[in-house]
Amino acid sequence: MTLLSDYPPHGPGLPTPAPAYRPQTHQQHPTKGTTMSDAARIRHALSVLVENNPGVLARVSVLFARRNFNIDHLVVGPTEDNKVSRMTIVVNVNAEQLHKVTSQLDKLVEVIHIEELDDADAIRTQLWQINDNGPRPVGAMAAAAF
Amino acid sequence: MTATHISDGATTTAPGDTGGLSAGTERRTGAEALVATLERLGVEHVFGLPGGAVLPLYDALYGAKVRHILVRHEQGAGHAAQGYAAATGRVGVCLATSGPGATNLVTALADANMDSVPLVAITGNVASTAIGSDAFQEADIRSISMPVTKHSFLVTDPDEIAATVASAFHIASTGRPGPVLVDVTKDALVAAADETLLQLPMPGYRTPSAPAPEAVRDAVELMLTHRRPVLYVGGGCLRAGASQQVRDLAELTGIPVVTTLMARGVFPDSHPQHMGMPGMHGSVSGVATLQKSDLIVSLGARFDDRVTGAKHTFAPDATIVHADIDPAEIGKNFPTEVGLVGDARETIDLLLTEWTRRTAAGATPQHEAWVRRCRSWKERYPLGYDSPSDGALAPQLVIERLGALSDPGTIFAAGVGQHQMWASQFITYDEPRRWLNSGGLGTMGYAVPAAMGAKVGMPDSTVWAIDGDGCFQMTNQELATCSVEGIPIKVAIINNAALGMVKQWQALFYSERFSHSQLPSMQVPDFATLATAYGCVGLRCDRAEDVDATIERAMEVDDQPVVVDFRVSQDAMVWPMVAAGTSNDDIQHARDVRPDFGEDE
Repeated sequence: MTLLSDYPPHGPGLPTPAPAYRPQTHQQHPTKGTTMSDAARIRHALSVLVENNPGVLARVSVLFARRNFNIDHLVVGPTEDNKVSRMTIVVNVNAEQLHKVTSQLDKLVEVIHIEELDDADAIRTQLWQINDNGPRPVGAMAAAAF
Repeated sequence: MTATHISDGATTTAPGDTGGLSAGTERRTGAEALVATLERLGVEHVFGLPGGAVLPLYDALYGAKVRHILVRHEQGAGHAAQGYAAATGRVGVCLATSGPGATNLVTALADANMDSVPLVAITGNVASTAIGSDAFQEADIRSISMPVTKHSFLVTDPDEIAATVASAFHIASTGRPGPVLVDVTKDALVAAADETLLQLPMPGYRTPSAPAPEAVRDAVELMLTHRRPVLYVGGGCLRAGASQQVRDLAELTGIPVVTTLMARGVFPDSHPQHMGMPGMHGSVSGVATLQKSDLIVSLGARFDDRVTGAKHTFAPDATIVHADIDPAEIGKNFPTEVGLVGDARETIDLLLTEWTRRTAAGATPQHEAWVRRCRSWKERYPLGYDSPSDGALAPQLVIERLGALSDPGTIFAAGVGQHQMWASQFITYDEPRRWLNSGGLGTMGYAVPAAMGAKVGMPDSTVWAIDGDGCFQMTNQELATCSVEGIPIKVAIINNAALGMVKQWQALFYSERFSHSQLPSMQVPDFATLATAYGCVGLRCDRAEDVDATIERAMEVDDQPVVVDFRVSQDAMVWPMVAAGTSNDDIQHARDVRPDFGEDE
């Protein structure tokens, strides 16, 4: 069975080591009109300050779906201001796509500020350590398919 | 009902906890505050249809200064508000109840979102205490509308109603205009409202200021140095009210102009520098001017796939200067050399100043050869059509005569399909806001309600809906609204007894297998009788020699809506055409006829 992404991930204490991240194999040069080119994808971590309104998570995730981007990781948490929440979003995109998704994100009325964080992979590793307390996903897709 | 509430970050009181105030207080209800806010914002017309969840709001509307126009379907309310907004430049307002009322607005919201129409949709919802319980007529319209609106609000606190409605108008009308939905729960409408909050803070909503001076300088530098520039004018110039600026820029620089489907009328069609409309059914000169250029100065356009054709072959030599109020548009579809983020009017003014400064300092553009070449295309490949060999009425003739016999101030609203393309090709638009259509979403059924909305906003203008027989049957119920409310629109049905554009594609690309594209609209329904049943004047015309007399008869009726059933040739096709997915270079002037663009410089 082929999983869509490297899943389960890197991290300590896993029953089997995770496969390394594989960049998309078909190389394509970003030229005119190839808006969703897969070339040169890198993980980027965005720290996004949003208004702490009900539905704001849905609005952000709808935007990613609507614009055909995939969210790798997503964490939402409070900030010191209870009217503002922080979303940490890890996306696997090239520079051109990152520019597009952030400019679309910036248009959302409830998005106050966007900043790219250094070292997206470190954030990803730490997020996975938190996620590791959940049930094991291995075989879950295959079990559902048959 | 459970007694627990999940706390709601936007509200300061628990939802539904509004029973503390007795009836004798001076505070108004949420519904009254909402109507008062509409009045304060100068709203004159609202299109809507009541239902359970908005009963308090309709009670407050009873006797209010705002004129409410009762439509027959919420989609009609949405498109009417769009037509109203597109014709007047003001924010259109529509109103619907919860559940199905709200979901019926979704098409209009999506349409307004694609075409950047300033629209505020107000919907009722079930009481906040019932939200999530699958209550009768409950729908999560705030979430449903998220991908198709500029923003959407759910208001559960009566104290926030006034501020939210005011903010919705602000969002809808500033920056890149768009639809905003305000969903108000029924308990918030009936509870007493504190109206001291006038605007929501919205720290994340910023409207772009003028473009950077360096970008303006670079853009003008490119315009001066390139030899084959084109001004690619889009709907943004229409929404910004920049038609005078566009004209000034074109005349000052001498650069040829193409106007997109959304921008018809922004730059006068009769102007010698106007090369026509680019795109799938644009004129040969419009397509060629864009395709052969070496510099595209895009003003409020968005490089839609119907304009560019196959993207990798679009304008291979062109450098792009992109002016748009929406920063996300710059570079969205094509790499952009210079981006100018700002209002079209201000941006073009800055370009004008910079151009004047540079030319006064001795810069001389060399565009003459290019302008001559563009004009030769325009002369050699004018728009035209063949009269049907079987003697049937040519649809293009009907539309051409409609345009010719109408006053310059006449507003035309079109549906979507062949008739829309012919209406964009064969009517001369010399003024902005005279051409209303659904460009981005391509919503069949747009014409009749949009014409109704336009006529409400512009009562002194003649408003023609040019509709197809397929489109007309989607929203013709609004003729009842027009009759009853005294909105005398005129409808020209281009009746070819088919979903014409579908049939054209089937003829060209599916070996004439006309799968489910033919309608018996010459028999069922009888449009003239249907019109009479709706209290309109119904006319019919199927011969070329009667066209003028029929149009004149329709023009004479001033106190009633008129519907004219023009029974036209079933075989007419829209030409020129760039087939979907092919290059603009492969444009066909007529079926299997490719124009000769001549040698490149």
